[in-house]
Amino acid sequence: MVNLTPLLPELFLFCWALVVLASDLFSKRRSASLPGYLSLAGLVITGFLLIPAHDAYLWGGMFVSDPFAVFFKIIFLGAAFMAIGSSFGLAGRMTHHRGEYFTLILFSTVGMMFLASAKELITLYVGLELTTIPLYVLAAYTKSSRASTEAGLKYMIIGAVSSAVLLYGLSIIYGLTGTTFLQQITINLSIYWLSYGELGPAFSIALMAILAGLAFKLALVPFHMWAPDVYEGSPTPVTAFLSVGSKAAGLAAIVRIFVGAFIAFATPVMAPRDWGSTLAVLAAITMIVGNIVAIRQTNIKRMLAYSSIAQAGYIMVGVVAASNLGVSAISFYVFSYMFANMGAFAIVAIIAERTGSEQIADLAGFSKSSPVLAGLMAIFILSLAGIPPLAGFLAKYYVFAAAVQAGYTWLVVLALLTSVIAYYYYANVIRMMYLSADPNPHHIVPSFPAGLVLALAGIGVILFGLMPEPILKLAIAAASSFVF
Amino acid sequence: MEMLIFAVAAIVALASAVMVIAVKNPVGGVLFLIMSIAAQTVLYIMLSGIFVAAFMILVYAGAIMVLFLFVIMMLNLRHADLGPDSLRRVKPLAWVFGSVLLAELVWVSMAASMPASGIDETFGSVPAVSRLLYGKFVYPFELTSVLLLAAIIGAVVMARKGS
Repeated sequence: MVNLTPLLPELFLFCWALVVLASDLFSKRRSASLPGYLSLAGLVITGFLLIPAHDAYLWGGMFVSDPFAVFFKIIFLGAAFMAIGSSFGLAGRMTHHRGEYFTLILFSTVGMMFLASAKELITLYVGLELTTIPLYVLAAYTKSSRASTEAGLKYMIIGAVSSAVLLYGLSIIYGLTGTTFLQQITINLSIYWLSYGELGPAFSIALMAILAGLAFKLALVPFHMWAPDVYEGSPTPVTAFLSVGSKAAGLAAIVRIFVGAFIAFATPVMAPRDWGSTLAVLAAITMIVGNIVAIRQTNIKRMLAYSSIAQAGYIMVGVVAASNLGVSAISFYVFSYMFANMGAFAIVAIIAERTGSEQIADLAGFSKSSPVLAGLMAIFILSLAGIPPLAGFLAKYYVFAAAVQAGYTWLVVLALLTSVIAYYYYANVIRMMYLSADPNPHHIVPSFPAGLVLALAGIGVILFGLMPEPILKLAIAAASSFVF
Repeated sequence: MEMLIFAVAAIVALASAVMVIAVKNPVGGVLFLIMSIAAQTVLYIMLSGIFVAAFMILVYAGAIMVLFLFVIMMLNLRHADLGPDSLRRVKPLAWVFGSVLLAELVWVSMAASMPASGIDETFGSVPAVSRLLYGKFVYPFELTSVLLLAAIIGAVVMARKGS
C-alpha cells in the first residue's frame, strides 16, 4: 500500500476543480462570482496543503516531492490565482460554460503540479499534456472572436507537433537505455559511456529532439512563431496564464530532464553530444529576436508576448549555467517574473475590458485619469525591464552571475546588450502613460478580485525586490534537489 | 521470409504515408492513412508487440480513422473550397530541411554504436503490458484518466454553440 499523503495537494485541487464545475449549476444565471471565488479559495487551500510537504519518493520516482517541485508548485498556484482573479470580468460576459472556464484553468494547474513532481518520462509527458490540453480550449474560449478561435487552433496544432517531436526524442532515450526513470537513465548512460567510450549519434539526435520539443512549449526562437498570434488572440487572462504558468511548466520539464538526468552532458567539452552549447545559442537568438521585434509592436499584448519570449531567453541563460547557482537563479527569476507579468497582463485586461482597446497608443494620459493603475503598470514594466530595486533586477543579476561563473561570459554580455534594447520598448509604455499630453477619457476602477490580483502582484514585485532572502532561501533549497 | 514480409510492410507503410500528404483529395488522404496504419500493424506483429498491434487496428484504423472519414465526408469539401495552396512558398524550404533530417536519421541508424537495450521474449504481449499498466505504471495510467476528463470537458465546451 502506497502512502498517498504527499499527493494530497494535487488530489485536493483535482477534486476541487470538479466541485467548481458543479457549482456553476447552482449559481445564479448572470453571476460569475461563485465558481470564481471557489477556485480562488481552492488554490489558497492547496497552497496551505503544500506547506507540510515532506520529501517523498513514490513509485520509484514517478512522483517526487522535493524542494524544487514544491517551489515550482507555488509558482503555478500563484499564476493560476492571479489568472483567475483577473478573469471575473471576462467570465461575467460569458453566457455559457462559466464553470468550465475556471475548471479548465484548475485542471491545467494540476497538470503542471504533476509535471513538476515527475522524475519519470511517461509521467512527465502525461503531466505536460494535462497542462496544455486545457490551454488549447482556453485560448479559443471567446468563440465569437475570430482571433481567439485562430489562436486555439494554432496553439493546438503547434502543441501536437511539438509533443510528437518531444516523444520522438524520449522514445530514442528509452530505446538506448531501456528505462523511463530519469535516475536509471543517468546510470545506464554512464555505464555505456564507461564501457564503450561513445554514445553514438542516436543520443545526440534524441537530445536535440527533446530540446526542440520543449523549446516549442517555451517559445524559444526559432520555435516561437506561434506565440505572438496565440498570445494576441487568446482572452487576456488566458494569455497571462500561458505566458507564466505554461512557461514555468516547460521550464520545470527542461530542468528535470537536462539538469536532472543529462547534467554530465552540459559542458561543451562533451561536444558534439552536449546540450549546453545548443541551448546557449537558442538563448542568444531568443534574446536578440524577442527584444528587437518587440520594439515594433503597437499592440500591448503582442509587445508583452515578444517580451515574454525574450524573458524565456534570459531564463535559458540560467539553465545553460547548469550549476547550483543557475537553478536557484532561474527559480527566483520565474518567481519574480510571475508577479510582474501577471500584474501587467491583469492591467491590460482591466483596460481592454473598459475601453476595448489593446493599443499602446491608447494608454496616452492614463496616469492622469487612473494614477494608481498607471503607477502599478509602471512598476510591473520596470520589474520586467530589470530596474533596481524591484524583484526583476535581482532575478536578472543572479541569472547573469550564474552564467558568468559557469564561463558563459559572451552570453551574459549579449544578455546585457539586449536588456538595454528592452528598456526602449518598456520605457515607451511608461512614456505613453506619463508624458503624453492627450487626456484619457477613461477613469478605471478595477473590480475587487482584479484589485486583489494587482495588490498581490505589486506587493510581490516590490517586497521581494527589497527583501529577497526568504524566497532566495527557498530557491537555493530548490537547487539542492539536483546533483551537480 | 521475415525479411520479405518486413520489406513489403515497410514499403507499403512508407509509400502510403507519403501519399497521405501528396493526394489532393482529403478522403483519399484518410484512406491512405488507414493503409499506412494497417502496414505498421504488420510491423508490430513481427516485433511481437501483439498488444500494440491490436490497438493499432481497433483504435486507430478502426475507431479514430473511421470517425475522420465521416467528418471529412460530412464536410463535403470540394477542390475550390480549399483555396490556393498557402504553403507554396515554404515548400522548397520544407524539402531542404526534411531531406537534411532524413539524411541525419539514416546516418544515425547506420552508425548506431550504442547497443539497444535488450528485452525479453514476452515484452509486448498482452499479459506483460497489462502487468506493467496496472502494476509498475499504475500512477501515470491513472493520471491519464484525469487527462481524458479534462479533454472531454474541453471538447464539450468547444462543441456547443454560443460564446
